[in-house]
Amino acid sequence: MTASHNMITFLSRQALTAATPMILAGVGELVGELSGVINIGIEGTMLMGCIAAYTVTGVSNHGTVGLLAAIAAGMVMAMIFAAACVWGRADQIVAGTAMDLLGVGLSGMVWMMYQNWRENLGFSTALPHGSGFSRVPIPLLHQIAFLGPVFFDQYALCYITLCLCVVVWWVLRHTRLGLIIGALGDAPEACHAAGVRVRMGRSLCLLFAGACSGAAGAYLSIMQTHAFATNMTGGQGFVVLALVIFGRWKLPGIIGGCLFFGLINSLQQTLQTARYTSQNTALHALTHVPFQFFQMLPYLAAIVALAIMSRKAPGPRYINVPWPEVKT
Amino acid sequence: MPGAASRSLLIGPGTDDDQSCSTESIIYAGLHRLTSAVPRGWGAWMTTAHPALGLTGICKSFGGVCALDDVTLEVQAGTVHGILGENGAGKTTLMNIIAGLMRPDSGRMEIMGVPISTGSVRAARSHGIGMVHQHFKLVENQSVLENIVLAAGKSLLPRRPRKLLQDIDSWCRKLNWPLELDAPVGTLAVGRQQRVEIIKALCGGGKILILDEPTAALTPAEVDELAAAVASLARAGMTVLFISHKLLEARRICQSISILRRGKVVYSGSIADLSVEEIAEKMVGVKMDVPRLTPSARPTQGPPMLELVDVDYRIGKRRPPVLKQINLTVRPYEILGIAGVDGNGQSELAALISGAVNPTAGRIVRRSGGNASVPIRVGYIPEDRHKEALVLPLAVTSNLLLRQYRQSPFARWGFCRYGTWRKHSTDLVRQYDIRCRRIEDAAATLSGGNQQKIVLARELSQQPELILAVNPTRGLDISATAFVLRQLLEARARGAGIILIHGDLDELLSISDRVAVINSGALTATAWPQATPVEIGRLMLGGA
Repeated sequence: MTASHNMITFLSRQALTAATPMILAGVGELVGELSGVINIGIEGTMLMGCIAAYTVTGVSNHGTVGLLAAIAAGMVMAMIFAAACVWGRADQIVAGTAMDLLGVGLSGMVWMMYQNWRENLGFSTALPHGSGFSRVPIPLLHQIAFLGPVFFDQYALCYITLCLCVVVWWVLRHTRLGLIIGALGDAPEACHAAGVRVRMGRSLCLLFAGACSGAAGAYLSIMQTHAFATNMTGGQGFVVLALVIFGRWKLPGIIGGCLFFGLINSLQQTLQTARYTSQNTALHALTHVPFQFFQMLPYLAAIVALAIMSRKAPGPRYINVPWPEVKT
Repeated sequence: MPGAASRSLLIGPGTDDDQSCSTESIIYAGLHRLTSAVPRGWGAWMTTAHPALGLTGICKSFGGVCALDDVTLEVQAGTVHGILGENGAGKTTLMNIIAGLMRPDSGRMEIMGVPISTGSVRAARSHGIGMVHQHFKLVENQSVLENIVLAAGKSLLPRRPRKLLQDIDSWCRKLNWPLELDAPVGTLAVGRQQRVEIIKALCGGGKILILDEPTAALTPAEVDELAAAVASLARAGMTVLFISHKLLEARRICQSISILRRGKVVYSGSIADLSVEEIAEKMVGVKMDVPRLTPSARPTQGPPMLELVDVDYRIGKRRPPVLKQINLTVRPYEILGIAGVDGNGQSELAALISGAVNPTAGRIVRRSGGNASVPIRVGYIPEDRHKEALVLPLAVTSNLLLRQYRQSPFARWGFCRYGTWRKHSTDLVRQYDIRCRRIEDAAATLSGGNQQKIVLARELSQQPELILAVNPTRGLDISATAFVLRQLLEARARGAGIILIHGDLDELLSISDRVAVINSGALTATAWPQATPVEIGRLMLGGA
């Protein structure tokens, strides 16, 4: 009884841990899409965040500096994207694909250069001891049964992400700024007539999204793991993209989707370890299944769940429509 | 009594116009409240000698094409000032500059003698300038209140700022317009959406209200209500700029006018000094002869080409019929006009005649030369240019060939022959005077009048025997309207039978052989030429 109870608690905690970077990137992407810009290159931005956080932490010996570097890297990526799509009228899908490829290639290249450079100097490429982040249990609260380990024994960025979700939800729901962001993607000419600078507004939303994606990358490389590997995001950016659409551009839907994905992911990881350690013959039989099969499971589950649960939603009307519509 | 004092000042020349409808009296009742609660500061600027709005030497060009050329004009406070001009004369550009949406290349702008910086919506708003655009700038899935807050809110945070709510409430009371603040704007009718736009423009200390073609989308009853509201606003000291190209309307609503032609002010002054003909002449630049049916061209009646016999049409079985017991006949060499207030079944009648829908009961017979078995060539000029008549993103040449592109000589073996397309289109463009830079340009880039010419060219160049035209001159300026009417008369002279379903009674009577009136889905017997225009107007409103 307690064993299974512990199991559920553990899985739930892991689910939130795994979902955090996706929630973070999802909040940013949501704001960007509401303003009328879809950035399908979040994956690349997250990877740039990963590598920026990892290398800067390695050099500076301070995780916080690494996190800030990741946010800055994400914002730089967003600026490039905004320059192309918002100010330069490029197609957002094409430019987003380019941003993804740029992020994958550039992060890999920086990683190789960093390795060479550190090794030539005679340093290890691993993070200096204690410079990465570890879990921050919140005093007292983390001792509450179930809720404690799940919500109050996480990484610092997870708490920040949850707070950010509340703030963004409040802004979108209860402020004029939220109206403006929604109108940027739904009726930019109304914003223009009201004296809101449409391109500037969209650029700011993209900058916010970039900062979020960058931070999400940092979470992967200097919090959840203390390592970098090429393509370590493993398609999470694209999952986020799908979740924003299937969450019908609503924050609770997106968070729910991320948590579901995180849950399946933690389940899959647990299963992979359990098949070697468990006494259960059925589980043990799974040792013959290649590990890639398990890694595939969350994506499969996501597709099935989305296909069953998603309903049609129109979404922001002016996604991928440049402003002004007719070039003057 | 500061209220009474300012009110005597507020009433400008010509406000005693002949609007005695009931809305007027309601608004007049509300006016006492209005004048006794004039917002702070109004008294001060009312009494100064400065004009409410002064423009000096405004120039603006787009890519080398001069849209406004040295525009100088003054508008006195408390008046309704009409800005008249043909499509493309620069009216909307000028208004966008006043509202701060565009920055002029040169020139100055003053509000009550105070120079204000151009090219900033915020600066314009803070000086009390609000604009209602012809195509509303509303976010359809946001509520009425949210739309107003979006445009008139000052801070980024509050969703329901108390001061703005009070402002909205006071304007709604003054105009006697109850607004459902929480209704999504997209669910409101066009007339209601316009009210939201007007309140939105007034909030935040509105002193100058710009209405860009406000009557284009309204029914006659709504136009009356709008006119009454505008009059009461002017009486309360607001300055209203009223953009229009409809002369009769402008005469009714405005006290003074400025006429723009090709970016220049050709007249500025009282409207009472000019006759309608003189205004039209100034707008167009040449003396216009209005196309009319000449009595000598009376029809030689042949066998009917189109007959509707006891036609009923209903949408849904339990709903009352949209059209009931329609009987009509069209013969060669005649124009049958159908008059009526919009929304009385005209769209459904057009859909029936064009064959888009089938009648629920009764029958429709189309005959070519008296022979029911030969398909008749029909030309159709639909009501909605943008949705039904044209494919806006396609090139002019493609739009011209929408009916024939698969036929010889425009295609062979299933392949398009662009050479013949180009030749055919170039001919039509010349023949119908379609102004476009290249025939490959998208139809969307052309002005409304030229878009309608594309439709006419496509539908009339094939010499149709039967022509169905629905509101063919809606939104067109004087010269384009004359062109369209002349084309219809030419088609008639060629022997076509024409059904003209048209909301503009003056135009309808000037070119129709016979006119029937549609009201609440029922068609009267032919009323014109037996009845007088006034009697027809009464029939349109449902009178006997």
